[in-house]
Amino acid sequence: MTAIRALNSANLNGGQKLAVKYFTVALALLGAQILFGMLAATQFVMPGFLYGVIDFSINRMVHINALVVWLLFGFIGAVYWMLEEEAGAPTVGLKLGNIIFYVFTATVLVVVAVYLLVQVGPGEMSTQWLITEGREYTEAPRWADIGIVVCVLAFFYNVAATFFKGKAAKGGISGIGGVLLLDLVALAGIYLLGMWYTTNVTLDQYWWWWVIHMWVEATWEVMVGCMMAYALMNVLGTSRKIVTTWLYLEVFMMLGSGILGIGHHYFWIGTPEYWLSIGGFFSALEPLPLVAMVVHAVYDSGVHKSRNNNHPAMGWLIAQAFGNFLGAGVWGFIHTLPQINLYTHGTQWSASHGHFAFYGAYATINIAFFYMATQKLRGDVWMSGNLFGNWKWKWAMVLLNLGMLGMIMGMLVAGFAQSQIERAIGGATWTAFFAAQEHPWFVQGMYWRLAFGWMFAAGYVLLVWDMLTIGKRETRAVQSHDDAALEAK
Amino acid sequence: MIEPVKLADFFLTFLSAASVILFGAVYALLFAYAKVSKMPRLMPLAYSAYAVLFASVITLAKVTNLFGSAFWISLVVVMLVGYFLAPHAIWHLCVGTHAASHHNNPAVDKSVQTPTPPNFGSANTFHQPCKEKAT
Amino acid sequence: MAANDNELWWASESFWKKTTIWTTVVMLFVLVGLTLDTVSQIQVGGKRVLAYSTINNRVDYKFDETLKRQVVVIGQEEPLFGKKLTEQEAEALVDHGKLTMHAKNCMDCHTILGNGAYYAPDLTKAWLDPFWGSRGVREDLMVAFIKDPSDKVHNSLGRRMPKLGVTDEEAHAVVAYLKWMSTIDTNGFPNNFKPIDQEN
Repeated sequence: MTAIRALNSANLNGGQKLAVKYFTVALALLGAQILFGMLAATQFVMPGFLYGVIDFSINRMVHINALVVWLLFGFIGAVYWMLEEEAGAPTVGLKLGNIIFYVFTATVLVVVAVYLLVQVGPGEMSTQWLITEGREYTEAPRWADIGIVVCVLAFFYNVAATFFKGKAAKGGISGIGGVLLLDLVALAGIYLLGMWYTTNVTLDQYWWWWVIHMWVEATWEVMVGCMMAYALMNVLGTSRKIVTTWLYLEVFMMLGSGILGIGHHYFWIGTPEYWLSIGGFFSALEPLPLVAMVVHAVYDSGVHKSRNNNHPAMGWLIAQAFGNFLGAGVWGFIHTLPQINLYTHGTQWSASHGHFAFYGAYATINIAFFYMATQKLRGDVWMSGNLFGNWKWKWAMVLLNLGMLGMIMGMLVAGFAQSQIERAIGGATWTAFFAAQEHPWFVQGMYWRLAFGWMFAAGYVLLVWDMLTIGKRETRAVQSHDDAALEAK
Repeated sequence: MIEPVKLADFFLTFLSAASVILFGAVYALLFAYAKVSKMPRLMPLAYSAYAVLFASVITLAKVTNLFGSAFWISLVVVMLVGYFLAPHAIWHLCVGTHAASHHNNPAVDKSVQTPTPPNFGSANTFHQPCKEKAT
Repeated sequence: MAANDNELWWASESFWKKTTIWTTVVMLFVLVGLTLDTVSQIQVGGKRVLAYSTINNRVDYKFDETLKRQVVVIGQEEPLFGKKLTEQEAEALVDHGKLTMHAKNCMDCHTILGNGAYYAPDLTKAWLDPFWGSRGVREDLMVAFIKDPSDKVHNSLGRRMPKLGVTDEEAHAVVAYLKWMSTIDTNGFPNNFKPIDQEN
């Protein structure tokens, strides 16, 4: 137990060194997301808190923007992490990739500084360009939009050029690589649709949903599919051929139901009535892929014994499977049919579903990748169940998952009251809105959310501490497939 | 086009909708487990989970007033059939995809699928049981 | 990848690759078709999204027996702030109002057509909200509230909208935007809404 392994980037390939930078900023931004979420949650129960200093709108804006950016940074990091192994070539244009990382991070910092210090502007186009676009999730001012597009293009160049360089040597691009490349094109292209202004609010929200839905329920899902495929090969040693076939299958099911599932955002914004049918129909099918995956998971764990060399990463991958199923599947379907969505749309129901789905489907898999990176940084140590100091990752996981579940249930109870009192009975007038907000169920839901928020925040602190220390005193190295086979003989 | 849920039916709506998905998963889980561990006596349990799913879909359709139009009835049918067949279909696919790969010569398969150029490591680097003692 | 004798075509990588690509293409094709139709139906001045100059008329939201839901009803001439505007003037005013709503991050507390944050009331039918008391005082109350809400009565929770530096001109524009937004056909959302009495 005396040997101490340093976090050493010499253990990584070029793309992975860059990936670790992205992961580090992503983890820090998760902290920012939690901080501003806590401030906003506090204002729900103590409206005078920071009133006129950092109002709810600002806290909420930073909270959800930090969410989008930390997940994106995690995804970009994950792509750089697997790039050289998948492509079979060293990253092309790594220097550019590094410069872009610093430009991207600086852009994010400037945008957040302006959000916090300038906050609002005059009702003119200049505000759209310099301060805020004022549209949920895509508040980033236009200059930053352009900066983000440039960064993403440079990132795409790194990825595409590396795959094509590897193609020459390997004689082909891997299935994961092909899906990933197409997905990145779609992901970047869709962002462009959100970069214009129109007075027509219905048209505005129509295209805005293209960005939000096609990211969250299409391209991001595909991205996670690629990450999961890579992670399963690495952590569990599943064969590439099976993983690739299933990646296609999964993308088929997700896009087959998810693309027209966009209809569930077009119920009430002024778009034609046929969206009620289309949205209702395809949303009801969206959980099918998730149910189907249950079968595959059981099959896999039965046929191949679930042995793995990185328990924290595996734990978070399992959390992803459950979180995605419950958060996106169950919580989404509960209020997606227009017959009930008429009353739940834009209430704490949406907040409960949003928290569960973003956390379950995306936060979890990013954290799994952070652990895969930490393992390699320590020089491929064996992160087993009896790893030295393993209470930290376990408790971080317990606190984060229970904290999130508690917040979700608090918002669920609040939303249940709100949908009835404000929407069904009161018809969504202002008086009805506040009648619901003052109801004991709602108020208590908000207190529970705050309390579990503290638990979640504690889990985050522990997670960061664990990231910095896990595997430090571990002396056993992971073995390769071939070594294990030799030993067996 | 739609007839909104009545206030008195809110709770039933949320409960039945959640049950549809949850019992969809329980059905899939038991179905796959019965197959994978070769325990056919678990199958009736799987189908009773589907029966609960069936009842949940009908309840959901009733409280969300889906029986009023042909279109929404078609959704009910698609859900009942889709959630019933999905585990069967996916099971066949599992067997199919895994069988094809197991019949291959692993060494050849690996060299085709994951070429390992020097210095870059391979995607299949490590795989080892957890319980192994420290060396 | 060479075809394999043991491989079942329906479980093969290449089959699912093709299926995935074709499904995605077909779904996108359908979505683009629907988008073309929707975009043509939601142009300003159409049946669903009314002309900006509709702010020259009374707006109401009433239950329709045949559709079994509430619908927007455009009534007699009732110009906003007592001044009848041309279509161009109305568009300029509404546009200024929308830009102001963006610039003050309204959507990060309120919902607009149900989208946004859940800290403050939905603004879809704000123009018709009974909160404003009566038709006679509504316009002035709204302008005054938007300019400085910090000292006005909100609710018993103590939750208040902050003063966001909205100018007099911007506040008028925001009211115009809210009035215009209340004319959009939202398929009956919000349901069971009880609009302000505008008869007297």
